[in-house]
Order: sequence, then structure tokens, then C-alpha cells
Amino acid sequence: MSSIIELKNICKSFGDTEVLHNIDLSIQEGEVIVVIGPSGSGKSTLIRCINCLEMISSGELVVDGIRIPDERGRTRQIRLEVGMVFQQFNLFPHMTALGNVAFGPSKARKMNKTKAVDIARDLLAKVGLAEFENKFPGQLSGGQQQRVAIARALAVNPKVLLFDEPTSALDPEMIGEVLDVMKNIAKDSGMTMVVVTHEMGFAAQVGDRLIFMDEGRIVEEGKPSEVMKNPKSERLKDFLGHVKHH
Amino acid sequence: MDFEFSVITESLPALLTGARLTWIITILGIVGGMFFGVLAGLGRIAGTEALGEEPHGIFKPISVVIRYISSGYVETIRGTPIIVQAMFLYFAFPMLVKALTDIQRFRIEALTAAVITIIFNAGAYIAEIVRGSVISVNKGLLEAGMSLGISRFQLIVHIIGPIAFRRMIPPLGNQFIISLKDTSLFIVIGVGELTRQGQEIMASNFRALEIWLTVAIMYLIMTTVLAMSLRQLEKKMKIF
Repeated sequence: MSSIIELKNICKSFGDTEVLHNIDLSIQEGEVIVVIGPSGSGKSTLIRCINCLEMISSGELVVDGIRIPDERGRTRQIRLEVGMVFQQFNLFPHMTALGNVAFGPSKARKMNKTKAVDIARDLLAKVGLAEFENKFPGQLSGGQQQRVAIARALAVNPKVLLFDEPTSALDPEMIGEVLDVMKNIAKDSGMTMVVVTHEMGFAAQVGDRLIFMDEGRIVEEGKPSEVMKNPKSERLKDFLGHVKHH
Repeated sequence: MDFEFSVITESLPALLTGARLTWIITILGIVGGMFFGVLAGLGRIAGTEALGEEPHGIFKPISVVIRYISSGYVETIRGTPIIVQAMFLYFAFPMLVKALTDIQRFRIEALTAAVITIIFNAGAYIAEIVRGSVISVNKGLLEAGMSLGISRFQLIVHIIGPIAFRRMIPPLGNQFIISLKDTSLFIVIGVGELTRQGQEIMASNFRALEIWLTVAIMYLIMTTVLAMSLRQLEKKMKIF
């Protein structure tokens, strides 16, 4: 297996506050990585650095062969290969569900309209929303919006998908439908996924590797079941205790 | 006090000619003002996160220059009365041209001066409307667009533009109506628009009540047409 994402000694600061300290991480193709940690631990910043929504302050990032910061002008190529799903869905409010999903293939991949729409229809069916294609985001529930957002990210055919707390803004009864879609992607397509989440069940079921972050550092990593069963650090024990009680 | 309807019917042709000119100046002002307004409005936030991500390399200093030019334009126009701008362009600018160049027979038509003034004046205010609407677009939507791998141009045209434009409609309606009424100030440079026509008729027959009432109603009709068109546009572009 070859690594598709490589983070070498990465630091990220916002002003005087350093939020990521010397992160080293190598992600293999097809791997599903789950990142957990308390709020403010830098997990969101970590994945936002991977698709250059945040520019790293120091260190080197290699995504699909493109080196940052040396090839800063090629961030768009990185983003074509690295899709992202956001906590707040961020669907384009002026486009229908179909329009949202077809947007990427037609504009970013420059496909013709009919082909883009075909892809979009297939993906909406895959996330179980075929009959909602003409609805606008404001007419959909949170869970439906997030499933459209996942289809939108998949539509440009990326090699990697990043999920930034995809279920944290959802009502409890809608979390399952979104997690099911994510599980299917992980199992069926062999997609490389980096998922920031508090859903420990999801981590145990589909995660190949669990990463626990605290205060901008990777504190522990390993097979999800083992890391969860035998946490080595006090901080992870503490964290797992909190998560389990909610 | 007597109210003579015949005064109104007699003065109607002249007033309608004035109204027509008012309407023409306004439409040209709105169209030209939108052009400069969008340019300067985006210019004032060039290279900021409101239009995607901050540029690097050579684009960084370029964006700074664009911001300064746009801000200079907006602040100069906002900071001076429109009457002064019209007077300057009509009376002072030709003198300036004569003094500074070899051209000795330079003159600007009153109507041309009026149209240029209203275009640049409206443009400055529209620039702020554009800027305000663009910076109000949820940053998450820009990130969603960027993370799909689209270009900055596509981001502005397909995401920021359509969303910001919907938010511009109410304040634009305001500005269009203000611009229409501002054309009445061009009486000072002798443009035969509606207010000037009213003033001239009034000076010959002294029927202030009939004339100014008719003039007011004509303005009201024109502003209502503007307001209603924008309401229609707003309804048409409504997002669920």
C-alpha cells in the first residue's frame, strides 16, 4: 500500500496560538481514519489543513503527490482529489439537491451538463434521496441535507473524503441515516476517509485506525477496538469516559 | 383658493417631456451605476477572504492597489454632495481641461454631465451595497465551493454572486429610488428634467399648487414602477 496523504512535522498557528504541534501522519489509500478528541484539540484544523482550507504554518504536506507549501499554486488539484463534508452541510441554498450534486462535476471537472446530471442522479439514489432531487436545501431535513452534501462531495470523484463532525449538527434520530451512508461508502468504494467524529460506534465498526488528539498533538493511535479497550493515557481514558456517558 | 385642472392639462406635455428625460437619466444611471458599483464593491474586498481565500505571490500587492483605488472612489463620491459633483463636472472640469491641456474648446453637455454624475454617484453607493452583501455570504458556502476544486472566478460567479445578489435587491431598490429623485438636482446645470420643467411653467403662470402636485405625482409614479419591478425580481429569485 502506498500513502496518499503524508503530514510531516506539521504546525499550524492562528496568530500567536499554535493549534497543531509537530503532527506526523501517514494515510494509506483506502484507509478509514477516525479522529477523536475534546473540542479545541485541533482535529478540525488537522483535516482542514489536508485540503488546504487552512494553510499549514510549517512542515510539509503531501497529498496525492502534490507538495505543500512548495506547490501552493496547485491547491485546486488537491481539492479535486480531496472532498469534504462539513458539520453545517453548507449546501448551496440557491440550487436544488440535484443542482448541488451536479455542480462539482460540471464546473470543477468540466463535464457536459447531461453527464453531470446523470452522475448526480446516481449519487442521490445511492444516498437514498432520488425522489428529492428537485427540493432546495431549505426544504430538506438536516439528515437529508447532509446526505446530499455527501453526494455532492462524491460527485467530483475524489480519492479522499474528509468529514468534519458530519453528525454533530443533527437531531439524534437523523444521525443513523448519515452514518449508514458513510459506512456504505467505506465498505463499497474503498474510499480513503478521514472522519472527525464523536460517534464511537462508527469508529469501532468501520475505522481502520483511530487517532486521539489533545491540545494539538496526536496522543494515541491504533486499531479502534484496541485503542478504545485499552487506552494508555489518562487523557484518553478520561475522554472515553465522557463520550460513553452521553 | 382656486384649483384649475386646465393648468395641469396645459402643462402636461412639457412635464411629460421632463419626466421622460428624468426616466432616461435614471435608467442610464442605474445601469452604469451597477457596472461601477459591482466593480468597486468587489474591488474594495479584492484579495480578502470574502472572495475565497487570500491570494499569494504577485496577486497580493495587486489586490492591495485595487482596494485602495476602489475605496478612494467610493469615499470621494460619498463624501461630496451630488450637486457639487454635477457643478464640478459641468463648470469646473472643462476649465481644468483647458488649463492643463492644449484642448481649448472643451465643453460637456449638461445632459452628459448629468448622466456621468448620476452613474458615478450611484456607483459609489451601490459599491457599498455589493460589498455588504458579499461579505454577508456564509463563509461555509465558500469553503464548500472551494473544496470541490472550482476556481475563484467560478466561486464568485456561481456561488457568491447569486447568493449576494438576492440580498442586494432591497437596498438596491432604495438606491435606485434615491438616484431617480437625485436627478431633480440637475436643475442647477440646466437639464430639462421634470423638476426643471415644473419650475419653468411655474415661473410663467405662478400656479404652484397644480404644478408641484402634478410633478410630485409623476415622481411617485416613476418610483413606484422602480419599487414594484424590484419586488417582482425579489419574488422571482426567492430561495426556499
